[in-house]
Amino acid sequence: MLQVALAQLRQHVRRFIAVGLAVVMAVGFLTATLMVNASTEASLGNSIGATFRNADLVVSEGQDKQLDGSALDAVTGAAGVGEVYAHRQASIAFGSAAGASYGALQNTAPAGLENLELLDGALPGDGEVAVDAGTAEKQGLSVGDKLELAPPAGMVAAEDVAAAGTALMVSGIVKPSKDPFMMVQPQLFATDALQQQLAGADNSWLRNIQFDLAAGADTAAVKDTVTAALADAGFPEASVNTAADQTKEVVASLTGGADQLTIVLLAFALVALLVSALVVANTFSVLIAQRTRELALLRCIGADRGQIRQSVLAEAVLVGISASVVGVLGAVGLMAGIITVLQGQPDTEFATLAVPPYAVIIGLVVGILMTVLAALAPARAATRVAPLAALRPADEARAGNSKGKVRLAVGLALAVGGAVVLALGAVSADLLIALPGGMLSFIGLLMCATLFIPPLVTAVGTLAKPAGVPGKLAAVNAVRNPGRTSATATALLIGVTLVAMMMTGAQTARTAFDGQLGAEYPVDLSVGDLTSAGRPLDASAAATAVNYDGVAAAGLVTNGGYAEVHGSRTGVYQLAPEQLALLQDKTLVLDGNTVLMPQGSELKKLTVTGSKGSKELTVVEADSWTLPPLISSAVAAEIGVPELPAADSEDYYSSLPQLWVSVDRDLDSWALLDLRSQLAAGLEVNEYQISGAAVERAAFNQVIDVLLLVVTGLLAVAVLIALVGVANTLSLSVLERTQESSLLRALGLTKSQLRSMLALEAVLIAGVAALIGAVLGAVYGWLGAQSALGAFATVVPDVPWLQLLAVLAVAVVAGLLASVMPARRAARLSPVEGLATV
Amino acid sequence: MTTSTEQSLAGAAPDGAASAAATRGLNKTYGTGDTRVHALKDVDAGFDAGKFTAIMGPSGSGKSTLMHCLAGLDTADSGNIWIGGTEITGLSDSQLTKLRRERVGFVFQAFNLVPTLTAEQNITLPISLANGTVDKDWFSYVTKTLGLTDRLAHRPHELSGGQQQRVAVARALLTRPDVVFGDEPTGNLDSKVGAEVLSLLRRSCQEMGQSIIMVTHDPVAASYADRVVLMNDGALVGELDRPDTDTILAALAKLGA
Repeated sequence: MLQVALAQLRQHVRRFIAVGLAVVMAVGFLTATLMVNASTEASLGNSIGATFRNADLVVSEGQDKQLDGSALDAVTGAAGVGEVYAHRQASIAFGSAAGASYGALQNTAPAGLENLELLDGALPGDGEVAVDAGTAEKQGLSVGDKLELAPPAGMVAAEDVAAAGTALMVSGIVKPSKDPFMMVQPQLFATDALQQQLAGADNSWLRNIQFDLAAGADTAAVKDTVTAALADAGFPEASVNTAADQTKEVVASLTGGADQLTIVLLAFALVALLVSALVVANTFSVLIAQRTRELALLRCIGADRGQIRQSVLAEAVLVGISASVVGVLGAVGLMAGIITVLQGQPDTEFATLAVPPYAVIIGLVVGILMTVLAALAPARAATRVAPLAALRPADEARAGNSKGKVRLAVGLALAVGGAVVLALGAVSADLLIALPGGMLSFIGLLMCATLFIPPLVTAVGTLAKPAGVPGKLAAVNAVRNPGRTSATATALLIGVTLVAMMMTGAQTARTAFDGQLGAEYPVDLSVGDLTSAGRPLDASAAATAVNYDGVAAAGLVTNGGYAEVHGSRTGVYQLAPEQLALLQDKTLVLDGNTVLMPQGSELKKLTVTGSKGSKELTVVEADSWTLPPLISSAVAAEIGVPELPAADSEDYYSSLPQLWVSVDRDLDSWALLDLRSQLAAGLEVNEYQISGAAVERAAFNQVIDVLLLVVTGLLAVAVLIALVGVANTLSLSVLERTQESSLLRALGLTKSQLRSMLALEAVLIAGVAALIGAVLGAVYGWLGAQSALGAFATVVPDVPWLQLLAVLAVAVVAGLLASVMPARRAARLSPVEGLATV
Repeated sequence: MTTSTEQSLAGAAPDGAASAAATRGLNKTYGTGDTRVHALKDVDAGFDAGKFTAIMGPSGSGKSTLMHCLAGLDTADSGNIWIGGTEITGLSDSQLTKLRRERVGFVFQAFNLVPTLTAEQNITLPISLANGTVDKDWFSYVTKTLGLTDRLAHRPHELSGGQQQRVAVARALLTRPDVVFGDEPTGNLDSKVGAEVLSLLRRSCQEMGQSIIMVTHDPVAASYADRVVLMNDGALVGELDRPDTDTILAALAKLGA
């Protein structure tokens, strides 16, 4: 029978493409996910390993005690130890034009153990210091420059460092360490003696002790000797490792975060696998149905049921193997491409491709197993083909549709129970409760899909009635085999639900965050203080600002009085009614009796004084901590707008006019940064004088957008696989109804009517699946956002109607496309041929 | 010309090697209530070994049902069936499968061959299914006799209709079965090619001693048989010995077909 299976595959490769495609995508996804993890570890290993790369053995501290001088003595004194490098690191302040900066001062190693890579100059000697290239560029340092170094305590300005510090000469520029612990801070290097002298008392801690073996010494023996020596010296838990082992240990302690990413990606891979299993099962059913007569013939000439089953499973195994291999190769290629790109970037040049055997093996095994498991049910169906089917017209086999009452009951219980838990999680704003609840309810819904999908298809099918006979037939045909319709729709439903959930969740989170940010920072961009010419901002500034692209509105907010707040005199701004629009927090209002104060003012009433008099106003606190005190322009006119106070008075800065700008919503953070620079130049102010939440908001939105894009892309794989399934189900229906279609044609149904009948059927199934998915996804997305963000923001469901409509449209169009091939095949048959071909 | 006698039918009891296939008291009904059809009514039939027998009758006479039951493809409601002296009534599905594989050959009207396999693979398929070894001499004798020697590597769609039927005949003969069943084996062929295939069947009967039972409603095809069994309304109604076409037509006319 293997012969038959092989011949089947060889002759009908195209029939297996659908199955193969589904498996390739799912396996590729899974393998790539596993490789992300391994490649992250390899990349980290590559970067961390650089630190130990010249050492034979590395001593690192145990839980009990940090390494210090006595540990160093123990190592140095042990037999078989060659050159030793005690890696010291201390905080240090150094002065430069930009003020006092802080960095890590490390000691250089003996020549044999040195791992610094010089870019310019030489390694530091006495009275010299080396800096990393990034710091050199930032601080404008080059070889031969002077640099003041001092212990970090109390250093706030460059002058402080100069006063307290030691002047050193920059001897060289080194490549920045790839060690993730070091990458974030300026790295300075001095000789061991100088480092200890500069860092002072607080420098006894040793990061690690690296050493070479003496000539002829045995690694294992020295390791034991040193471990014993350290234990004697009071470091029983200190570990002595080879450089490679030490790298592994550090990487393991670092990759907790990467593991989480892997888990998230694995969840997506699982979704893809599930969907593709559904598609594989459906597709194999199609293949079996196409071959009913052939299978019957085999049974006639002596193939037993086992042989038929084996033949189908052999096909599944072969398809599984080849598709999994392609999937794994595709994943390796994809990762290799990504890593190559990363290696080209200066910050990620240490990126290393790792193809761990387990990723390959798991990818292959899971792919093959999934294919075979999914083919089990179709294989069983194949064994039920009666030998007589080869001899007589195939009856329309109507398998009794046993709905599986147990499954329905369990499904309903899960759906209801899960929904309750999900609601609980949403109410208590606890994602950890909501997440399992949501998952259980979704699984439950999928389990009883046969309960609601066919009736819904029928209901929606009534919409197709106006399309005449084809419409009526399509509505009926779409639910002729409720089990198959449900399975097909379910595959699509999973993908669409998840996509819709992500979209709604993102949109809701974005709105919640926007609201939160708007309340926290009510002004998009505010420009304060004096221009570089030393003048206060005036009305012309607002006129200038509105001319820039991306500025929606701008207004000059001026002083309207002053008040004593907790003993200090502070300016109070006045806001004209039309300027209220510049505030992003729409809940803020001003009337004749109120003064708007930032959060935490702890005041009930505030007396604001103007040039003509003063008025006691009720304090309304904003959610923002940064909003200046505000009164309406009417109140300001009532109490008299005062003159600007003298430059040396307490309330001078809080009385200077501010320019408030609101920006277009669709600007990204780069455009906003750009706009900020342009505004700074145009208004003749420094960039730091421009504050506001616009950039933060845009950055957050960008993060959400990118995440949404990535997640949608990942889930699109599942949707794509599911659509292959729709096409397959339809071709199965077409095959099963060859005679019927021919009869309809003979009775006067035109080719295009036949085609539109099948197209409508596909659209019905895909459309209903997408509709249910969109509704479910919207609900899940909202509840998810409520659970995740409810604790610190007001979450109002915000449905991205346009995006959901787009998903629906995509599903319907894809359904249409999926019907093209099967419909063409059905329409090609002449009425006579179809009636004869049984 | 000899018309049927009750005598010869009653004598067709299973008697070992002399009978290729036989039935006794075979009954089969389809459907229930108003749609109930008595396809076989107490059929006692015997088919001699080494003979070419045709079963004829009008549509709905039960001739196909009789053949399906004989071949173990369908089960009767009551009665007994023997193939080559072995009773097959009540055999399990796997026993019937084994029987079909080893003791029965089939030539159908159409769709005889697995489209993805070559002619040679199709011919040896029953033996492959049984994990047996092909008798090389017998294989080359059969394929040579059937004129297929240079067509063995072709796939079914590369063969003419007549060639496809000859491949099917070769497959049926290769296992040296107790009996080869033909279900309108020439129904899809034009008369010239049909005659060729029928001559081959007759030769295999004469030269190889192969028992053949063929269902047909074509008097010309039936005239190649040693014996024609006539059926009507689910019962055997007569038989003809070495008839010619005219005799058969006359006998059928008497049945009202």
